[in-house]
Amino acid sequence: MLEARAFEPDFLKRLDRLVLGIKRARTQRAGRRTLGRVQGSGLEFENFRDYTEGDDLRFLDWNTLARHDQLVIRTFRPEREIEVTTLIDTSASMGLPAGDDKLGLALALGAALTYVAMSDNHAARLVGFGMRRGAMKLSATDFHRRQESYPGFKSFVTAMGCAGETRLGAAAGELLQERRARGVVIVISDFLVSPLDYEEALGRVLAAGHEVKAVHVMGERESSGSWPPGLYRLRDCETGQVRDVALGAQAAAACRSRAAKLAARLRDFCTARRISYTPAFGAARFEEIVEREFPRLGLVR
Amino acid sequence: MGLLAPFNLIYLASLGALVLIYLRARSRPTLEVSSLILFDEVAAPVASARLLRVDLMFWLELVGLGALSIASAGPYLRMPAPADHIRRHALVFDLGAAMGARDGNLTRLDLARSDAFTMLAQAPPGDEFSVIGYALEARVVHGPSANRDSIRAAAAALKPLDTPGRAAALSAALMRARDADTIDLYADRLPPQDLAAGAQVQGRLRFHRIGARADNLAIVSLDPGIVRSSRGSCVLRNFSRRPRLCGLEIECAGAKVLRTAVMLDPDAQAVVPFGPLQSGGLVSARIENDDPLAADNQRWAYAQIDAPEKVLVVSPDAGVRDDLARVLLAVNQNFIVTAIDSSKFKPADEPADISLAVMHDFYDSRIQAPSRLYIYPNSTGAGFGLQGAVASAELRDRAGAGDLSRPLQLGPARVLSIAPWMDVHGSGIAAGDPATIPLAALGRDSAGMVGVIAFDLRGHLLLDPDRLDALILTVDLLKQLTAPENLQIVETGSYVTVPAAGVATIVAPDGTRRTLSADSNGRVRFRAEQAGRYGVESEGPDAAVFANYFDAAESDLNAASPAAPETARRAPPGAVAARWTSPRPLEAILLGLALAVFLIESALILRDAAGWRWRHA
Repeated sequence: MLEARAFEPDFLKRLDRLVLGIKRARTQRAGRRTLGRVQGSGLEFENFRDYTEGDDLRFLDWNTLARHDQLVIRTFRPEREIEVTTLIDTSASMGLPAGDDKLGLALALGAALTYVAMSDNHAARLVGFGMRRGAMKLSATDFHRRQESYPGFKSFVTAMGCAGETRLGAAAGELLQERRARGVVIVISDFLVSPLDYEEALGRVLAAGHEVKAVHVMGERESSGSWPPGLYRLRDCETGQVRDVALGAQAAAACRSRAAKLAARLRDFCTARRISYTPAFGAARFEEIVEREFPRLGLVR
Repeated sequence: MGLLAPFNLIYLASLGALVLIYLRARSRPTLEVSSLILFDEVAAPVASARLLRVDLMFWLELVGLGALSIASAGPYLRMPAPADHIRRHALVFDLGAAMGARDGNLTRLDLARSDAFTMLAQAPPGDEFSVIGYALEARVVHGPSANRDSIRAAAAALKPLDTPGRAAALSAALMRARDADTIDLYADRLPPQDLAAGAQVQGRLRFHRIGARADNLAIVSLDPGIVRSSRGSCVLRNFSRRPRLCGLEIECAGAKVLRTAVMLDPDAQAVVPFGPLQSGGLVSARIENDDPLAADNQRWAYAQIDAPEKVLVVSPDAGVRDDLARVLLAVNQNFIVTAIDSSKFKPADEPADISLAVMHDFYDSRIQAPSRLYIYPNSTGAGFGLQGAVASAELRDRAGAGDLSRPLQLGPARVLSIAPWMDVHGSGIAAGDPATIPLAALGRDSAGMVGVIAFDLRGHLLLDPDRLDALILTVDLLKQLTAPENLQIVETGSYVTVPAAGVATIVAPDGTRRTLSADSNGRVRFRAEQAGRYGVESEGPDAAVFANYFDAAESDLNAASPAAPETARRAPPGAVAARWTSPRPLEAILLGLALAVFLIESALILRDAAGWRWRHA
């Protein structure tokens, strides 16, 4: 399975040189002082200031007091922690076509991005979403901040299965109910839903102040339309709808055209809303996508 | 229209399989996809709503398979034969003993003949008839002929034999009638079910059951006992569903021994004891009741004459000498047995006037006796040659018993070549060699009766209860060696060899006479086919042969017939006009159709293949 590749040491070693491309989160004033009684929680020294009543005596500079008989407080740069949530589509459509391993690709990409985020001391987690028994269910890991805890994601990733419908809007609603601090939300999905659904979902996440990144996953067969020729009855794995088609060269071209149009529409939407859009077509290109496409498109640096 | 093998229609199920394959092939496989959104721009297929499309290959396959399946069932069409067509008919008559049973003033064979003559009279002129009879064997009495008079004469000359009608003989008769367009079988009981199929005469065989149920009394066996020693017995059987009073008369050498009446239960048999006889000779038993089948109402046996006879036994083995003496005394307690060790035997020791000499593992041509039995001979003698020896032998068949149900393991045996004038009474194989070797034989030379047994009797073989067939074979030979020369008692159907000189006249029980020339060994050989006394008259001493008949199956004139075979149709009485149709087999037409269909299909495949190559190569 492809997701296991995201935990292999040689691959992780290559990820160590990458940093998550965060734009909006970085626009917050970096290194601003923390005044008052609450000290910055970081370890990096920032400045001195005079002692005021109520300051924590643990931060009193005892050397200055001894030498100059002045009460001076040492201040520290606060920790710049950004919560990175990787939202992975686990609907039934991610399991088809069976040979394309879209879910494996999505999980591997999500895990790799999480690892990259953790390298910059961000708090990162993986969240799988999908409809279960008629209700949207989010399966989330805890936030991890240190790369040493990265293997903890492996059990989550390997246990993930796909079922149910794709409801991006519902997933976004569930996520936003958590009312967490603004951060980065990476949505990895095949986006095989009505454009209105993903537009609403991404718009709501953006409106909540999160930086949104969309990773568009498609299978090799889906994107190329290379279905076996013949008369078939197609059945939508999520809705159960059927349709009789004649597959062949013409149908393949039509499928390719349709997939390209779907991707173009998503890309246009993302561009208009300043959402990072990254296509990830084909599980075989996993490493190429992570190491070349993601940096090229600014998802990582 | 009919079918020779209707069960083969089961092959038509292959058509169902073909239709299933076709429907499966034309059904669309369901492909599960992630979303139909991807296929929005794919054009919908143009599909026909018809359940069965015009698919030439499918229909050709259907026709071909159907034709083959129906052909395997052997369809035939019964069509009126053209007027100028010469049809062949076979009249097959059962000549078993039961066909001689009287039904009023006529026998069953007479009734069969009458039926056949009626059919003969109604047949179109020009049709050919043949007459075939069977009992122990099948015999073509008259070959195919359009001469009705000669056919009638041949059928009129048929006589029932006092032997059972064997199924193998019927099968052989049907096979000989195989070329006929119709086969009319006249018998008093239905043939076995698979007989017509085995003889390949299905559809042409018409069965005419002759005779009604009838009661019958029969003598099953007659044992004269031992003169002045043990009682004899006569076994009677009632083949009736009601009790019957049976009058029985037993005579010995012309003197009345017993006359009694016995009440027999339905389908039961009774043992009637008599004697002990006061003197030996020919014993006869006769049922006094008048019943339909006379052949089993009389039976003969021979009681040994109560006179001392000297027997010489020579053997190197004391145990064998002892065993042989016991067996000889059991055969005839009047024997005076002298047993001598062969190593100590001197011709001068030979007692005078011996009537039987038994030599075991020993041969001396100087021993003269009217009857001689050589057992495990160590030298070539009169009537047999010594070819070798085997460590062990296996008795496979015995005269009177036929093939043994379980071969009898014997000890060492000598391989003998038997002279043509001797009859083999037992044979088997040597261990490790499938070739049959004679193990017992009996014949008559100029000096008298000669018997030979090829296997060794050491180790008390004759007294071994697990190897009883060896004792029976030995006793049988001893009895025949000591029987009177001019009197034989046999079972009907067996061959009889009688000493004669020149031309012998055989007078059958029904008074018919025939002449036979004696062979170079001074004997005539004939088959006793009638129950009763055969007289053999020749330039030498006259002889008499008494033939006994009893067969439980044949004598039962109430016998339930086996289930009617489907292929042997009961001929409807009076349906004469419908008879003159001939079955036309349709297999060839159907096979030709299937062949043509498959050729067309092959041509279509070739055409399609050529077109594909043109487009793609």
